[in-house]
Amino acid sequence: MSTKGDNERIELLQGTLDLLILRTLRLGPTHGHAIAKAIEFSSDSVLQVEQGSLYPALHRLIKRAWISVEDGTSENNRRAKFYRLTAKGKRQLVVETSKWNRLAGAIAQVLRPARQESES
Amino acid sequence: MNRRERMLQGLDEDIRGHIETETQDNIARGMAPDEARRAAMLKFGNVMQVTEDTREVWSLIWLEQLLQDLRYGLRMIWKFPGFTLVAVLTLALGIGANTAIFSVVYAVLLRPLPYRDASRLVVMNETTPRVGTLSVSYLNFLDWRKQSTAFAQMATVHQVGFNLTGVARPEVIRGLAVSPEFLAMVGVEPLTGRDFTAQEGNAGTEPVLILSYEMWQSHFGSDPSAVGKTMSLDGRPFTIVGVLPARFRWLDKMDVIEPLGVLLTNNAGVMERGNRGESIVVGRLAPGIGLAQARAEMDGIAARLAKEYPAADEGYGVEYKPIRDSFVGDSRPAILILFGAVLFVLLIACANVANLFLARGAGRTREIALRLAFGASRGRIVRQMLAESLILAILGGTLGLAFAEGGIHAMARWIPSNMLSGTEVNLNGAVFAFVAALVIVAAFVFGLAPAVHSTKTDVQSDLKESGRTSSASAAQKRLGGALVVAEISLALILLTGAGLMMQSLYRLRAVDPGFRTARVLTMSLSLPEKQYSNDPAIVNFWQRALDGVRALPGVESAAVGTAVPLGGEHWRTDVVLEGMGELRPGDYPHPDMHIVSSDYWTTLGISLVRGRWFTAADDEKAPKVGIINALMARRLFAGSDPVGKRFMVGHRAKEEDWITIVGVAGDTKLYGLENPARLEVYLPFRQAPFGDMNVIVKSSVGPAALTSAVRAVVNAIDKDQPIAETATMEQLVSDSVATRRVTLVLLGLFSGLALLLAAIGIYGVISYAVAQRTQEIGIRVALGAQRSSLMSMILKQGLRTALLGIGIGLVAALGLTQLMKSLLFGIGATDPLTFISVAATLLFVALAASYLPARRAMRVDPLVALKYE
Repeated sequence: MSTKGDNERIELLQGTLDLLILRTLRLGPTHGHAIAKAIEFSSDSVLQVEQGSLYPALHRLIKRAWISVEDGTSENNRRAKFYRLTAKGKRQLVVETSKWNRLAGAIAQVLRPARQESES
Repeated sequence: MNRRERMLQGLDEDIRGHIETETQDNIARGMAPDEARRAAMLKFGNVMQVTEDTREVWSLIWLEQLLQDLRYGLRMIWKFPGFTLVAVLTLALGIGANTAIFSVVYAVLLRPLPYRDASRLVVMNETTPRVGTLSVSYLNFLDWRKQSTAFAQMATVHQVGFNLTGVARPEVIRGLAVSPEFLAMVGVEPLTGRDFTAQEGNAGTEPVLILSYEMWQSHFGSDPSAVGKTMSLDGRPFTIVGVLPARFRWLDKMDVIEPLGVLLTNNAGVMERGNRGESIVVGRLAPGIGLAQARAEMDGIAARLAKEYPAADEGYGVEYKPIRDSFVGDSRPAILILFGAVLFVLLIACANVANLFLARGAGRTREIALRLAFGASRGRIVRQMLAESLILAILGGTLGLAFAEGGIHAMARWIPSNMLSGTEVNLNGAVFAFVAALVIVAAFVFGLAPAVHSTKTDVQSDLKESGRTSSASAAQKRLGGALVVAEISLALILLTGAGLMMQSLYRLRAVDPGFRTARVLTMSLSLPEKQYSNDPAIVNFWQRALDGVRALPGVESAAVGTAVPLGGEHWRTDVVLEGMGELRPGDYPHPDMHIVSSDYWTTLGISLVRGRWFTAADDEKAPKVGIINALMARRLFAGSDPVGKRFMVGHRAKEEDWITIVGVAGDTKLYGLENPARLEVYLPFRQAPFGDMNVIVKSSVGPAALTSAVRAVVNAIDKDQPIAETATMEQLVSDSVATRRVTLVLLGLFSGLALLLAAIGIYGVISYAVAQRTQEIGIRVALGAQRSSLMSMILKQGLRTALLGIGIGLVAALGLTQLMKSLLFGIGATDPLTFISVAATLLFVALAASYLPARRAMRVDPLVALKYE
């Protein structure tokens, strides 16, 4: 459910959300809401995360043992689930990051000649 | 509580907390509480949907994915119908051939024998170093049973034959005479009626018998009231006391079983220790005793008996075989070789399908690169492609089963029954399980490498390349080349095997058997001792039969003889030459004995080397005469003329027992074309009358008409005398090489199939390479390259692949053909000529398969090729 007609915001590609979660958790364990905020904040609100979609992704990562979950207390003294990056998750983050960089590079290269063509 | 429930339990609370925190944040930013909550909900999205999606993460995802993969696979299969057709047909040929051969392997080597705990049953024979396997003397059997502790039970099984009399058309009945405990020991109960009683193991018991199921069906119409009726065998009434279950079978075909007591009543000779009739001993190993322990004990017993009864037992040992081995006989190597051969064919088929996948996969590189980029895991893509392989394999397996069903019927009719050890070959549960396993394994064999390979794409470069020209990567070419190399090696091994078999059979058929087969028919007659109790009666019968048969129209010559070449086991005994000193038992010459009428040799076309044949004058009153064969003359009368010399059958030293040699006959291949000639002695039937003889007729009349004519002659003399084992000599020769012939034909068929598949494989890979290089070739042509040099460039690629495959195949074949040594005749397992010609054949086929695509490369139009992009 993308909000409003905000053209500058980009919907996330499937699989990319995983990368962003792992990246966020590298800074330390935290709860779901904080993860959503962190992603939104660090991408200058360009990346639109429908916050709910975070949860299936988190559980997918738990299932793959890339993150683990524990009970904790949030900053406003609320009981919450805290998600933590596992060792396996840390390794995966490196893999996923380089994969992403390759993809981004590739797409950039695909697009570049197209632009030149249309300009010439 | 499982992990799934535990993980989902806190989910609702977690989501509530999330929305609450967001609401608080909104309030802190100055929103009204209602608005703050609404904005938080909006930002979160559909709570129900999120919960559902999260639950799904923990659901049986693999099952859903599997279904998804299968759907995807089915789509792919519809999308490429040509590919599907070729792949399914290729696999069906491979799987079908395997199914057919496996059903033979199962029937002969694996199917459980119809006995209780059959693996504990051991078949025993006596054996001597000179003669080999022999029957067991009854008195020795009694001592074995008394002294042995390694066997829980032991039974003797004699082969007997009867003439069924008192019926419109007398016939020969085959039977077993068994210890009364025999059926209980092997765990078989009569279908109806009773088993034998302990009393029936003793001489003097009333004649009773148990019918085989087939005999019950054919002679009593499966009527339960058959039990209690009588059957007249050899003119004596036997009471039927039971019927065997349909599943019972024995080493040889048999129609009835009688208790040992009946045999003992009628054959006083059995009670002599030196008498070894036609019997084996079957034992059940005692609990906890292995074959080796039993053997050690039995060898000790045999050694003691040899000391105690040197005249009968010196030099005799015991031979042991698990009962399964007795059933399988010597067809095991042929069957296993054929099984190996069809597995090779399937491997080649798989390699071809894998190559098809590779070629198709190249067109999908970009699609796969994209899916990888968007987060699909390699494992998932591999699984998806494997699901597609599996569907293809299942289709191929199903079609293969249909092929096999047809093939099995053809084979069952055509494979000699002794190669199948009498069992029925059919599609059954075990065969279906094998096919299922084969389908799964095949799907992995041909699917895994291309699937894994397809995900090894370089995302960046593959995305950059535009669709269809995305060329085969070097790795793909290597994999495709390797597959073709493997195909060529496998095909070469199969062709070598077939080539060696072909030459063996050819050489075997070229062996001079020592007799002529054309237009010669043989049949066997067995005169019951009761009616033919004295020599004059026997001689009279044979003489009248011979006179009658000779008078038939079209008959050139007719004879009787105790044996026909290749017609099974013969009678052998010690002979003593005049002037020969006393030898140790076992050192006396031990020839095959023939009792024949005077026309025996001319009817069978056996040559006379020296002296004369028997004549009508060599009768009961004339001096005893004999004829020996050339080998015996060479071996025992080296340098001197045997004609006029005397010998004696057995060791009786009475003056009237001396037999004068009057002639020397050419050697015959009595025991198979591949076996060397043995010592042979012929005696005239009037001087040594014998009740079991073969009537041998050379005639211009066809076998069927001749058989009924001879039967009429025989029944005019004795209306109760049946005729059995009718066969032409040509048939006997042909049957003697049947296992080899069947092996050759099947091996030839499989290697032909292998060659065809390998040729298709080479053609496919080279064509594909040419298609991939069309542009490059076009540029070369445009730049002025000679078309002929382009052609040789492509041909060289085919040649390199072929040579590599041939090289590997030759090395492997050198090792593997050793396994078929026992099937070869007159040729070494490493016969260089065979190896060279097979290699040359493959090279030629590989070049021919490369030539077509190479010609296409030569004709590439540069303009078209460059526009191709």
